[in-house]
Amino acid sequence: MIDHVIHAAVLMTTPVLLAALGGLVNRIAGLVNIGLDSMMLAGALVGLIVAAYTGNWMAALAAAAVAGGVLGFLMSLAITRLNANEIIVGLGFTIAVAGLVRFFLKSAYGSSGTLSLPDVAQLPRITIPVVADIPVVGAVLSGHDPLTWAAWLMVPLTVWFLARTRTGLRLRAAGGAPQAARALGLDPLALRDASTVYAGLMAGLGGAYLSIGVVGIFNEGITAGRGFIALAAFYFGNNGPWPTALCALLFGLFDALQIRLQGHGVPTEIVQTLPYVMVVVVLTAMAHAVRRRRAKGG
Amino acid sequence: MTGAASQPGSLWQPAAAMAAPFLAALAMAGVLLTVAGHNPFDVYGLLAVESFGSVKRITATLAAATPLMLTGLAIAVAFRAGVFNVGVEGCVYVGGLAAAFVGFTCTALPAAVLLPSSLAASLVAGSLWMLIPGVLKARLGVDEVVTTLMFNFIAISLAAYLVNGPLLAPGSANSATPMVAEAARLPRLAPPSTLNAGFLIAIALLVLYGLWGRHAALGFETRLAGLNARFAAASGISVPVLVVKMMLLSGAIGGLAGAVHALGNVGRFVTGFSPGYGFTGIAVALLGRNSAVGIFLAALFFGALATAGATIQLFSDVPIEIVSVVQGMVMIFAVAQFGWPWLRRRIAS
Repeated sequence: MIDHVIHAAVLMTTPVLLAALGGLVNRIAGLVNIGLDSMMLAGALVGLIVAAYTGNWMAALAAAAVAGGVLGFLMSLAITRLNANEIIVGLGFTIAVAGLVRFFLKSAYGSSGTLSLPDVAQLPRITIPVVADIPVVGAVLSGHDPLTWAAWLMVPLTVWFLARTRTGLRLRAAGGAPQAARALGLDPLALRDASTVYAGLMAGLGGAYLSIGVVGIFNEGITAGRGFIALAAFYFGNNGPWPTALCALLFGLFDALQIRLQGHGVPTEIVQTLPYVMVVVVLTAMAHAVRRRRAKGG
Repeated sequence: MTGAASQPGSLWQPAAAMAAPFLAALAMAGVLLTVAGHNPFDVYGLLAVESFGSVKRITATLAAATPLMLTGLAIAVAFRAGVFNVGVEGCVYVGGLAAAFVGFTCTALPAAVLLPSSLAASLVAGSLWMLIPGVLKARLGVDEVVTTLMFNFIAISLAAYLVNGPLLAPGSANSATPMVAEAARLPRLAPPSTLNAGFLIAIALLVLYGLWGRHAALGFETRLAGLNARFAAASGISVPVLVVKMMLLSGAIGGLAGAVHALGNVGRFVTGFSPGYGFTGIAVALLGRNSAVGIFLAALFFGALATAGATIQLFSDVPIEIVSVVQGMVMIFAVAQFGWPWLRRRIAS
């Protein structure tokens, strides 16, 4: 039973982790991405359709990433070039894309809310020969798909990218001190656009993971607000890739436990509120710490 | 966060500012309709007839607009103080649940007591729900956008828990509370339609809001704090106290929107209670530029879209989802500034 929970927890972490890492880079470059959920939704739909028509999961992932990236680009343009408020545009994208997806499903497939296609190419699972038989360790390491491995590989890569590469430093400058960045001849708006496209790509992949990695069908509620959980994760992680990943893992564990606990007298709805409660508590603790530090210093 | 601050100006400017996002969103949705094989002009013509074509359709539109007037007002009140309350959706849930709870438990009370107590319960629940985000914002400067957004999800899950467990109607399989007593229901104004006394409450509050913003000291202070918090503080206004007050007021009005929906339309509380009234309210407040008349007109527009969208789906094969597409795009276009900075500079010089 513990192996099942661990395996399910790793499974449910991947989509949140992907979107959260994208949103984290986006936020560091100076844009809080409220629209991640809409990009996940688009990625989930496009991923499933391409997986069914091409029979190739790599093509499906690429298409899902492009779908998310295009949405990210449009959203970024509205914010950086038309001076639109990022929160409202993000919520606007959430509503408009949800409507578009349902409009498309009805118009193209005549179905309301759910899309089930034959011959969907699902993500392959990598079983590691000897490790798979070890209890606990096997559940953690074996039987996962390439996207899960890629998502976890992205955590140290993001740390390295932000701390050690020229582009990473420039992104941080664009977010932290846009005036200074401009004075150095950089274009903070273009850097911000690039980071939003990246966030869209990652969220699109996260969405595709839900449709072709977990279930193999699409449903209009497939993201179940995971884009907002990703938002919670990078707020919780305070822009650090490792704490963000840890938080995504915690949410994945909650998700897995909640499925397990169904019908065992534990109200799953209460478990569902935990990620959101945690974010409020952590933000409060952080603000309190900042205030105390300031009071001591001054 | 000042995207919605209204600018005093000539009369055509706010009118144009209100119409432009509509037209842009309708144009984009028109392209989508054309691609899907519908004639957008036919669809929009049908939408207009189905929302304002007869007395019956107009009452339906007004009924659909009622909760949106309240949620739009709830958001405008906070916007005015420079607070971006994304949590009105959650207030609609807790307010609706509180009103329904009083309405189906205290059934022995006469209407003259029960209805006001139900409404009062929603006001208290809604404002208490915004107490924590308000205090966190005022005392510690915690970003209210994130906390109120998180509070929405918490409210929706908590309400789902209560409706599936302790408050589930006996013998009911679907997640709903018992029906409220007849005495707790808001009286209907034009019986076959669901238009009810909640509409009058919403209109009265909008009028009060218009007068309050112009003539009351608190209204002026709020506006000042929203436009420039540091200047307001320097003039002796306690901005943190003001922020908490406005968050509580915003929550109370959001809760009332839930009560109007529960006692006027649904007759009880069910899961999936609100069709996003709190989020549409953001679009309403933005488009109405925080003014009472603007909020009324914008709520009417979204009410018309919702009610007509539902009926055109019956008569044609146009999916109702076109309404969500228009709504989301209106939100985006309402805050996007197409060449406006350039235009303003020209007018100024």
